[in-house]
Amino acid sequence: MRIGTANVYDNALEQLYKRQSDMLTQQEQLSSGLRVNRASDDPIAAAKAERVLVRLSRIETDQRALETQRSALSSAEAGLGEAIDRMQDLRELVIAAGNAGYSPADRATLAKQINNLRDQIFAIANRTDSNGVPLFGGLGSAGAPFADIPAGVQFQGAPGQRAATTTALPGAMNGQAIWMDVPSGNRTFEVSLGAGNTGGVWTDTGTVISPALLTGDNYRIDFTVTAGVTTYDVVNTTTAVPVLSAQPYTSGAPIQFDGLSVLPQGAPASGDTVAIAPSTPLNLFNLLDNTVNNINSASSDNRLSQAIALSLAQIDTGMERLQAARGQAGDWLNRADSITDAQSARSLALESDRSRAIDTDMAKAISNFTTAQTGYQAALQSYAQIQRLSLFNYIN
Amino acid sequence: MTSLLNIGKSALLANQQVLRTTGNNIANVNTAGYSRQNVQLNSVEGLYSGSGYYGRGVEAATVLRSHNQMLTRQVALTGSIAASDAKRLEQLQKLEDLFQGGKTGLGAAINDMLNAFSDVANAPTDLTARTVVLARTDETAARFRAISQDLDNLRSSLQLELKANVQTVNQLASKIADSNREIRNQQGSGHTPNDLLDQRDELIRQLNTLVQTSSIPAEDGSISIFVAASQPLVLGTTASTLTLTPDAFGDPYKAKLTMERNGLTVVLDEASLGGGGLAGQLRFQNNDLADAVNMLGRMALALGTTLNQQHSLGLDLNGAPAGNLVTLGPIPDGLRALVNTGSASIQVSVQTTPTSGAPQLAASDYEVLFTGAAAGTVRRVSDGQVTSFGAVPVQIDGLSLQVSGTAAAGDRFMITPYRKVASAMDVAFASPRALAVASPVVPSAGVANQGSLTLQTLIPTQANANLTQTVTLTFTGAGSFDVVGTGTGVPAPTGVAYVPGQAISYNGWALTLKGTPQIGDTYTVQANAYPSIDAGNAHAMLAIRDIAMFDGAATTDGYAGLMAEIGVRVQSAGFTSAVSTSIASNATADQAALAGVNLDEEAARMLQFQQAYQASAKIMQVSQTLFDTLLQNLAR
Repeated sequence: MRIGTANVYDNALEQLYKRQSDMLTQQEQLSSGLRVNRASDDPIAAAKAERVLVRLSRIETDQRALETQRSALSSAEAGLGEAIDRMQDLRELVIAAGNAGYSPADRATLAKQINNLRDQIFAIANRTDSNGVPLFGGLGSAGAPFADIPAGVQFQGAPGQRAATTTALPGAMNGQAIWMDVPSGNRTFEVSLGAGNTGGVWTDTGTVISPALLTGDNYRIDFTVTAGVTTYDVVNTTTAVPVLSAQPYTSGAPIQFDGLSVLPQGAPASGDTVAIAPSTPLNLFNLLDNTVNNINSASSDNRLSQAIALSLAQIDTGMERLQAARGQAGDWLNRADSITDAQSARSLALESDRSRAIDTDMAKAISNFTTAQTGYQAALQSYAQIQRLSLFNYIN
Repeated sequence: MTSLLNIGKSALLANQQVLRTTGNNIANVNTAGYSRQNVQLNSVEGLYSGSGYYGRGVEAATVLRSHNQMLTRQVALTGSIAASDAKRLEQLQKLEDLFQGGKTGLGAAINDMLNAFSDVANAPTDLTARTVVLARTDETAARFRAISQDLDNLRSSLQLELKANVQTVNQLASKIADSNREIRNQQGSGHTPNDLLDQRDELIRQLNTLVQTSSIPAEDGSISIFVAASQPLVLGTTASTLTLTPDAFGDPYKAKLTMERNGLTVVLDEASLGGGGLAGQLRFQNNDLADAVNMLGRMALALGTTLNQQHSLGLDLNGAPAGNLVTLGPIPDGLRALVNTGSASIQVSVQTTPTSGAPQLAASDYEVLFTGAAAGTVRRVSDGQVTSFGAVPVQIDGLSLQVSGTAAAGDRFMITPYRKVASAMDVAFASPRALAVASPVVPSAGVANQGSLTLQTLIPTQANANLTQTVTLTFTGAGSFDVVGTGTGVPAPTGVAYVPGQAISYNGWALTLKGTPQIGDTYTVQANAYPSIDAGNAHAMLAIRDIAMFDGAATTDGYAGLMAEIGVRVQSAGFTSAVSTSIASNATADQAALAGVNLDEEAARMLQFQQAYQASAKIMQVSQTLFDTLLQNLAR
C-alpha cells in the first residue's frame, strides 16, 4: 500500500501526543493520589465522593453539637449530684430539728442553715451551660428558668423534654418535672393535724395498704374523749359519708380504712381532728420553705413531730426525683459515648467508601505509569529511527 | 538518422517533464491539500514503411493529479464531524472547570453554611456562632456569583468566537466562489488545472471544519456548496452570507445561524447543521451552556427561596420577626416571541407553599403557547413535556406564571426563570443579631403529664395568620388526641390519630412527638415568650439539609448531582470526540495513501527517469556517432 510521507509524520506526531498525554494522565493520578481528578473522569465516583464529603461534614457537625450537649448534660448531672448532697445535709438538719432537747432558739438556727442549703439548691436549678443556656430549661425558658417570687418559686419556661435522637442529645433537662413536681405527703395522700387541736396527738405520714381500694377522697378523723375513753370517727368529707364510727382509740395502733392506714400517737383531746387529703404537687423549694416555717412555728411537740415526719417524707420524694433525673442524665452521657463510637465507625466507613471511589490504586497506577512511559519511549525511538530511513539517503 | 535523433529528442523532453513533475511533487511533499501529480506519457504513433510501423518516440500528453472525489469528500465530512465534537468537548471542559467538587466547591460551601446553624442551635446567644453563619452564607453567595460570572464570561467569549467563525465561513465561501470562477475560465484548455482544484478542495475541507457542507459539481467545473442539508452557500460563482441572529424570542443567550441570499433571510435549523466547529459551538451555547446556567440558577433559586422562607418565619435576637436571609437576582419576565400579536406579558414567581414551591423547581426553560386569552400549553424545554392550562396564573413545576394584558391565540413566550438569580445572590443583612434563630412558637408539655411523650421537633413551616395562636392537644388515648385552640380547622378536630414520630401540623407549624402518651396528657404550642435563648428556627434551618429539593435529591446532595450531570456530558463528549477524531484520521490516511507524496517513491522515480533521460541522451549521441561514421567513411 502507498503511504503519504507527510501523513506518516502527522500520524507519528499524533501518536507521540497521545502517548505523552497518556503518560501525563497517569502521572497526575500518581502525584495527586486521585484516580478521579475531575467529574468527567468517572462521574458516578465523583458524585459519590461529593456525597461522602457531605456526610462526613454532617458527622463532624453532629459531633461538635454532641460535645456541646454532652458538656451541658454533664454539668446538669454534676449539678444534680450536688443538689442531692445538699438535700442529704438538709435532711440531717431536719432530723436534728426533731430532737426534743432543742430549744426554739436552737431550732431557729437549724432553720437558718436549712434555708441556706435551700438557696444553694435553688442556685443549682438555675445553672446554665457555657453558652448561657439554662441546664434545666425544658423546651425553652427565660435566662433563669426559676424565679423566686413572693408567691413561691415559679418555672418560667415551657415544660417538657426534648427527645434524644440517634445522633444528638437534648441540651437541657425538663426543670419543671425535676424541681417543680414533688407530690406532697406520702405521694398518695397527706395527713395533717386540725388547726384547733389542743391534745397531743400526732401521726405518721400514712401508708397505702391496698391501692385498689383508694378513693382519692378527703377524710377527717374526729376524736372524742368521753369519761377517759377515747374513740374516733372517720368521715369521708368529699361525700359526707361516715366511714368508721366510735372506734376505740389506742395510741400507736393504726387506723385503717379505704385502702389506707394512718398511725396516730399521743393523747388527743376531745374535738381534735386529723385531716387526710389527696396528695398535691409541690415544688421542691416551696416544700423546703414550708419545712423551715413549720420548724420555726411549731407550737407544740406533737405538731413539730408531725411537721418533721411530713417534711422528711417529702424531702425523700424530692431526692428521688433528683436521683431519677441524675440517672437519666447519666444514661444520656453513656449514650453520648455510644453515639461517638457509632459516628466514628460511620465516618471511617465513609472515608474508605470515598477512597475506593476516587483514590488511586498506587500499585496499579505505578504499573500503568511504567507502561505508559515505556510506550512513550518506544514511540520516540521508533520515530527517530524511521525518520532516518529514506531512499534519498542511499542515492549518491 | 534524423528519426533516431527525433526519438532521442522526444524522449529527452518527455523524461525532463517527468523529472520536473517529480521535482514538483517533492517540493510539495508537505503542502496541505496537494495531490501528487504524474505525467501521462504516450508513445508517438508509428510511421509506416515497407517493413512495418516504426515508432517515433514519446510525448508527454498531460499532467494528472492522483485524486478520488469520494475520498476527498470523506475527509471533509469526517473532519467536519470531528471538529464539531472537538469544539463541544473543548467548551464542555471549560464548563466543567467551573463546577469543582471537593472542599473548595460550591457544594461544600452550601453544606458548611447549613451546618453552621448547628452551632447557633446549640448556643443561640453566641454572637460569634451567628457571625459564622453570616460569613458562611456570604461565602456561598459569593461562590454562586463567581460561577454565574464565569458562565457569563464563557458565554461572551463564545459569542466572539462564533462571530469570528461566521466571518471565516463567509470568507471561505467567497474564496470558493472565486476559485469556481477561475476553474471555469481554465476549463477550455483541455487540461485539468490540478493546483486550482487542489486549492478549492482544501478550501472546502477548511469550510467543513467550521460547518458541514454537501457539494454538487457542475459541468463547467464549478462546485456548489450547501449547508444545513439544502441551503446554498455557494452557487457557481456567487456566495451567500451567514449571520448570527438571536432566536425567535430575541433571547440574547441563544443564537441562530441565518443565511441571506437575494434579499431573503433563511433561519438555519441547528439540528440540520450537522458537523463543523461552528455547529458544535452553537450546540454547546444553546444546549449545554443554557442547561448549566439553568442548573446553577435553579440551585440558587430553590436554595435561596427555601432559606428565605424559613428565615423570615423566625424571630431575631430582639424577638422581632425576621426578614430574608439572602437576596437573589430577579426572575425575568417571559420573553415575547417577536411575532406575537397580543398585548400579554408574563411575570414569573416561585409558588409560596413550601411543599409545592422551591423543591418542585426543574432546571429548564418553558415555552408557553397561547390558544386563547387564558388557555394554552406549557412545554418544558429540557424534556419536551407539554402541559395544558385553562386558567391563569399557570402553576407549573413550582413556578407561578402571572399573565397581564391579553394574549392572542398563537402568541408564544419563552420563560427563562433562572438566568439572573445566581448573579446577584448576596447575604441580606450584616448584623448577627438579625439572624432568625428563635422560633415564634414553642411547645410545652402539660405539667401533669404521666406518659413518656418527648419532643422531637417543632418547626414553623409556613407563614400563617394564626401561627402563634395557642393550640392544645389533649390525648384521649395512646393513639389519639383532641385539639383545642384558635386557628384554621381548630378547635374542631377530636380523636385525631397520633403516630409517634409523625408530624402534627396546624396553623403553619409542624410538631413531631415521640413516646406514648397517657390519657389526659397535654401538649401545647404557643407564642414564644423567651426568644433570646430559643433556637427553634435554627433547628428548622438545619432541617433544610434533608428536604428533597433538587429533583428528589436532598439539599446537601444537589450539587453532587449537578457536578455529575456535567461530568457525564464531558465524558460522553470525550468518547464521541475520540471516535470521530479517529474516523477522521483514518479517512485522512486513506486519502493520503492515494494523493499524498511518498518521498521514497519520488526518489525511485527520479532515479528511473534520470536513467531514462541519460539513455535518451545516449540515443542522441549514438545518432551523432552514426552520422559521424557515415561522414568519415564518405569523406575517404
